[in-house]
Amino acid sequence: MNTSAPLAVEMKGITKIFSTQVANENVDLDVRKGEIHCLVGENGAGKTTLMNILYGLIHPDEGEINIFGHHVQIQNPMQASRLGIGMVHQHFKLVESYTVTENVILGLEPRKSLFIDREAAYQATRDISAQYGLAVNPNALIQDLPVGVRQRVEILKTLYRGSNIIILDEPTAVLTPQESIDLFKTVEHLVKGGKTVIFITHKVKEVMAVADRVTVLRHAKKVGILERGDITEAAITTMMVGREMMLALEKKPSQHHEEMLCLHGVTAKGDRGNLAVKNVSFNCRCGEIVTIAGVEGNGQTELVETITGLRKAVSGDITINGKSIVNHSPAEVRATGLAHVPADRISIGLCVKEKVSENLIAGKHTIKDFQKGIFLDWKKIKEYALQAVKEFDIRTSSEEDLVQNLSGGNMQKVVLARELLFQSKLLVAASPTRGVDVAAIEAIHQQVLKARESGCAILVVSTDLDEVLQISDRILVMYNGEIAGEFNPNTTTKEELGAYMIGILRQENMIKSASMVITHD
Amino acid sequence: MILLNGDNPIMAYSTMLQRSVGSVSGLASTLAVATPYIFTGLSVAVAFRTGLDNIGSEGQLYMGAMAGALVGIYLKGFPAVLHILLAITAGVVAGGIWGWIFGWLKVKIKVDLVVTTIMGNYLAILFTSYLANYPFKPPRAPIGSTYFVVDSARLLRFFDFSTLNSGILVAILMLILYHVFFNHTKTGFEWKTIGLNHFFARYIGMNVPRQKLWAMFISGGFAGMGGVIEVLGVQGRFVQNMSPGYGYDGILVALLAGNSAPGIFAVAILFAALRIGGIGVEQVTNVPSELSQVLRAVIILLVAAQAGIFYFAKARRKKQHDLGNTVRS
Repeated sequence: MNTSAPLAVEMKGITKIFSTQVANENVDLDVRKGEIHCLVGENGAGKTTLMNILYGLIHPDEGEINIFGHHVQIQNPMQASRLGIGMVHQHFKLVESYTVTENVILGLEPRKSLFIDREAAYQATRDISAQYGLAVNPNALIQDLPVGVRQRVEILKTLYRGSNIIILDEPTAVLTPQESIDLFKTVEHLVKGGKTVIFITHKVKEVMAVADRVTVLRHAKKVGILERGDITEAAITTMMVGREMMLALEKKPSQHHEEMLCLHGVTAKGDRGNLAVKNVSFNCRCGEIVTIAGVEGNGQTELVETITGLRKAVSGDITINGKSIVNHSPAEVRATGLAHVPADRISIGLCVKEKVSENLIAGKHTIKDFQKGIFLDWKKIKEYALQAVKEFDIRTSSEEDLVQNLSGGNMQKVVLARELLFQSKLLVAASPTRGVDVAAIEAIHQQVLKARESGCAILVVSTDLDEVLQISDRILVMYNGEIAGEFNPNTTTKEELGAYMIGILRQENMIKSASMVITHD
Repeated sequence: MILLNGDNPIMAYSTMLQRSVGSVSGLASTLAVATPYIFTGLSVAVAFRTGLDNIGSEGQLYMGAMAGALVGIYLKGFPAVLHILLAITAGVVAGGIWGWIFGWLKVKIKVDLVVTTIMGNYLAILFTSYLANYPFKPPRAPIGSTYFVVDSARLLRFFDFSTLNSGILVAILMLILYHVFFNHTKTGFEWKTIGLNHFFARYIGMNVPRQKLWAMFISGGFAGMGGVIEVLGVQGRFVQNMSPGYGYDGILVALLAGNSAPGIFAVAILFAALRIGGIGVEQVTNVPSELSQVLRAVIILLVAAQAGIFYFAKARRKKQHDLGNTVRS
């Protein structure tokens, strides 16, 4: 990389304060033309804010921006787009029922008098995808495409709009390891074609794989910049976290071994009537953490809903502590000692418009301790809530505060506190650490391990392979509604799991192995 | 507008105030008219808080009024208090069932509640009209109505010059019960939670369909109670088209009050004062009483606009805040 290459983006002294929080404080960012610039930092370090400022979604309180040497004030994404800046968001903004071409041209359609020139649109999409090695069928419907390809369509969209600077916001968060490798190749193609790429991530390994230069943010400030030769895993991690990370969790062997959860040939339908869970059998014992790894949308959500009583099973049997609970109501399943942390905490796991205290006792509000005659005993509820807030280190101004005012990590702690404080026998947790900062992830993992030690059987669904390898006693991979394989976390690798996650490999003896007893201690 | 009509607006407004709250008789009339507004306001508020779009209070009020009237007319030989309680119970059950049915359609076969309850209003109004015009019509009655209820079913009137009756006390009692129920009981907590997020309620183990059915019953019951009180306290019998849209106005009452008990009381009084004052103005000046409806509409628009401004300001602040949160958390 030519160190004297002109600067594509120069952000100087950017400060942005949201009512109570400083999101960016005097941050500088220099991105040279034609490089892959990684912007790294923990969740909440201010990466996305900085990029939203560059893309015109947020206006900075202070600081200036130069694009290719010209001082600019970016008011909105449309202007950013005119300046040649394109952004691919974490959550794709595609019309699912449209074709690739239609999505690419949407908003900037080539015209033939009054009508859209479909031939020209198709040609343009073809040309760009060929030029940058973005293999995609222009006539395919988005809804039929896997996530990795949808991401390519997003990149095509920005290219079609003539972007020279492309911002990728945590692009690998939704991808499998294989898809990530394809993405890295795409990014290199883009740079070869003269584009500049800003790659946001908090995964150190990705930085190692793609970065020409790295800017590290921590607690809203820029910590430093690393040139090509200086990029090492240790250097990045230390700069990101400010201390050495505790990577391995300490796990004591569990004393309990009774079978708590058992599934036999469970089949369930998805929302669209498709078979989302197909003949799934496995078990989970007391004091054991079983993880279900998989790419999102392979039936994990439906499986969890079926176990927890939120979805009906078409066939098969589920027992908790020996009692069949298949197709029972959520209340009945909970009565067997189930604690459930759902994947979507905001719309299912919490009532964000109610107080923290109300969320902590919901579902338990009928127990005697919280009643005074026919009324709720708000005094006792308050005492209980205060204790839970303390025990789970929930950062809130008051237990009377509405949950919607909490940060994601603290919301999740409210869910965990409610679910774990009542001596459950089985914990089913779907993506318990998604969108949560590193400190909260540690706290959540510690709570889960504590439950494990006390003899709780734990089923975790996760898409994060680092997490899967870190906490599991046993790993199941789910692909296309089926269990594709079972693994020992001590002997498997991310690459092996990844191959099963995207359906390249598959163990054929899964149904047999469900009834096998395996111990890892 | 009053000026355009060639009248003195200051006089019109002072008359309005004078007639509605400026005298004992005016105040009594206002409270009398506020009573049904409180009941329909409660009816709608219960449903709204539980996340149910019940706009069928009008029909539920008619069903309750007819049931209460029939008990008041044809059950004889009870002491007054018991007779009144029986009539009110009948009204509550009738109104309640007329809410429950649509709740059942919503919960079991997912029929839209707005559509069914509006249809239910027409059904109830026409059905009770039929009863008042044919089976239960006294001979030679000039309009569709039932007989008058027997004396033991009459509610106590406080004054000779006003229809104000003990129904207002029942209404206030219901406001208090409503408040205590939603803030201090576990079922009230469940209903509120269901209204705010029914996915969460189901996940946490609340029986959402059952509670929704009960909420529809109680919602209809409040409207039905309002109907009975109107029969026993004001009209003395069931009269067809007896409600000038109390049920629909109940929606406005609940919305303007933000579903709070004190709010419902205040808005009900305001609506009643505007109506009583409007009639007073018509008697004294040439200003038609419809003008008070215009005034009411202006108030609603202003309140809605203000709420809207607050909402947008809050949403804007929240958006900034959320962006901050997503970035930081």
